[in-house]
Amino acid sequence: MAIDFIIILTMKNLYSILFISIFFFFSCNKSNKAENGSDKKIKVGVTMLSMQNEFIVNISDEMSKKAEELDVELITVDAEHQPLKQIEQVESFIAQKVDVIIMNPCEVEASSPAVTKALTAKIPIINVNSATTIQPTAFVGSNDVESGRIAMNFIAEKLGGKGNIVMIHGFMGQAAQIQREQGAKEILKKYPNLKLISHQTGEWDRAKSMDLMQNWIQSYGTKINAVFAQNDEMGLGALKALQDAGLKDKVIVVSIDAIADALQAVKKGTLDATVFQNAKQQGAGAIETAVKIVKGQPYEKELMIPFQLVTKENIGKFLK
Amino acid sequence: MLNRLKQYGIFVVFIIICLILSLISNQFFTVSNWTIIITQASINALLAFGVTFVIITGGIDLSLGSMVAVTGVTAAMLAHPDIYPVALPVFAGLISGLLMGVFNGFIITKSKIAPFIVTLGTMTIGRGLALILSKGRPVSNLSDSFNFIGGGDVFGIPFPIIVLILIFAICSITLKKTLLGRYIYAVGGNEQAARASGINVNQVKMAVYSISGLLAGLAGILLTSRITTGQPNAGAGFELDAIAAAVIGGTSTSGGTGTMTGTLVGVLLIGVINNGLDLLNVTSYYQQVVMGIIIIGAVVLDSWNQKSNG
Repeated sequence: MAIDFIIILTMKNLYSILFISIFFFFSCNKSNKAENGSDKKIKVGVTMLSMQNEFIVNISDEMSKKAEELDVELITVDAEHQPLKQIEQVESFIAQKVDVIIMNPCEVEASSPAVTKALTAKIPIINVNSATTIQPTAFVGSNDVESGRIAMNFIAEKLGGKGNIVMIHGFMGQAAQIQREQGAKEILKKYPNLKLISHQTGEWDRAKSMDLMQNWIQSYGTKINAVFAQNDEMGLGALKALQDAGLKDKVIVVSIDAIADALQAVKKGTLDATVFQNAKQQGAGAIETAVKIVKGQPYEKELMIPFQLVTKENIGKFLK
Repeated sequence: MLNRLKQYGIFVVFIIICLILSLISNQFFTVSNWTIIITQASINALLAFGVTFVIITGGIDLSLGSMVAVTGVTAAMLAHPDIYPVALPVFAGLISGLLMGVFNGFIITKSKIAPFIVTLGTMTIGRGLALILSKGRPVSNLSDSFNFIGGGDVFGIPFPIIVLILIFAICSITLKKTLLGRYIYAVGGNEQAARASGINVNQVKMAVYSISGLLAGLAGILLTSRITTGQPNAGAGFELDAIAAAVIGGTSTSGGTGTMTGTLVGVLLIGVINNGLDLLNVTSYYQQVVMGIIIIGAVVLDSWNQKSNG
């Protein structure tokens, strides 16, 4: 300590003092935590796909709520879309000897080694929201193909099985994009008079999808009868472009996820429908499953949370 | 003189691409389509103008996209709920951009660390700040007066286009007619010589990074208002489009050369290609490949042009 003070005194640089005090602040914080953590709580390590994604943040928040309720200690980390980082995080959970690991996988194949590592270390691992090729101890989530089917079915019914559709993809090659497209295309096959006249990526992004829709309006004009966007952000972007062009009344817009903005838009009647993916049940379900596994109680190996179509008729149920 | 020729080179490429597109798509050369192209390009244009100043001094600014996110979220948080006059979110957005720019300039001039590294750092810091401010969620339900900035129009001209023209004029005059403009070229051309002739090099650098930050703030406000929501992950990769536009427009990454007109042509070229590929219904996978080829092709053609003219 004395040496540190001498260093501080000799430094005339304000920034170094700031830096050192921040460092001390954090190191003090850490030791406090260690003291508090001595009681015997269930310890769960959680690695999430990306905390920059609203839906994933929602799942994470629901997990924290449930963990508080059940008195579980959560260590949540962000894999930032990188499977390698996720594997390293799981390795560090194994080293910390957590009781259960919950993983929201970055990638079907690339995150699989994390599952193997946890199972070899005899630590149960639960996949939440999306799957890996290697079977984990349990899975809690929904089947994205189903959401694509629900959305496209709604469009087919609204158009009476006939019309021109454009589809806005998420990031090409991601599991959610592939599965939502697959679900939508299954339905399209059943209706030969529904034509997919164009499909492009909006990269899950509202601004990009708005630009794309404007360009489509230029080339197809009033020929477009419906838009299927693979997430709400993109659906809302397309909606804005249609509203600006004065075409909204003539075009049906459907998207997936039921984020807060989308629910408001459905309530206003501007967005025709969204598909509700239940972040609450997925997050809470993962924590409940984790607790059951640790306590040796029976649990479901595959807890499937169903999607629900949200339209103006049933919007009340989804608005808090 | 050489600058002039270089500028014409890319201009010829731009016209050729426009001609090709209007031949294969009859929707391309319409007033409504051009309104869309320019509106869509306005955000990239603001960033590209800012980074042109920076690149001419021999620097680079990789934090543009993150600054767009920070300023956008800041503005959105003050535009919702509708309790403050619209000037406040706009002012706060601009100030937060300016502050980040000043921070970049301060670290670069004081530490002598390469701008590439410093702005790479602020790029990450900015993204984090945007996420912290917004708690990882988009900020929505912005006031109507705020949404006018990106979505409204004056006498049928979309507001972003008016902003674009105004800022282009200001930047162009700053670079061509003012003392600061001459100093910027001098610092990029030969820093030692500039210093020897009594130019305060550090001040010039502070100025360009601050301008870049301020314009990124304006871009953040435009984007947020256009999509009517403040997105913490907005603007990812915008810096690359802006730098590409400047380079396509003849700004040399080694510093000393470049014009705002050139950058504007670069911005429009990228906008036209994006729009054209959508109109022609080119599949998403191919769009990226085509875009890359056209960027490289444009610069190669431009350099041939220069040689044959010079």
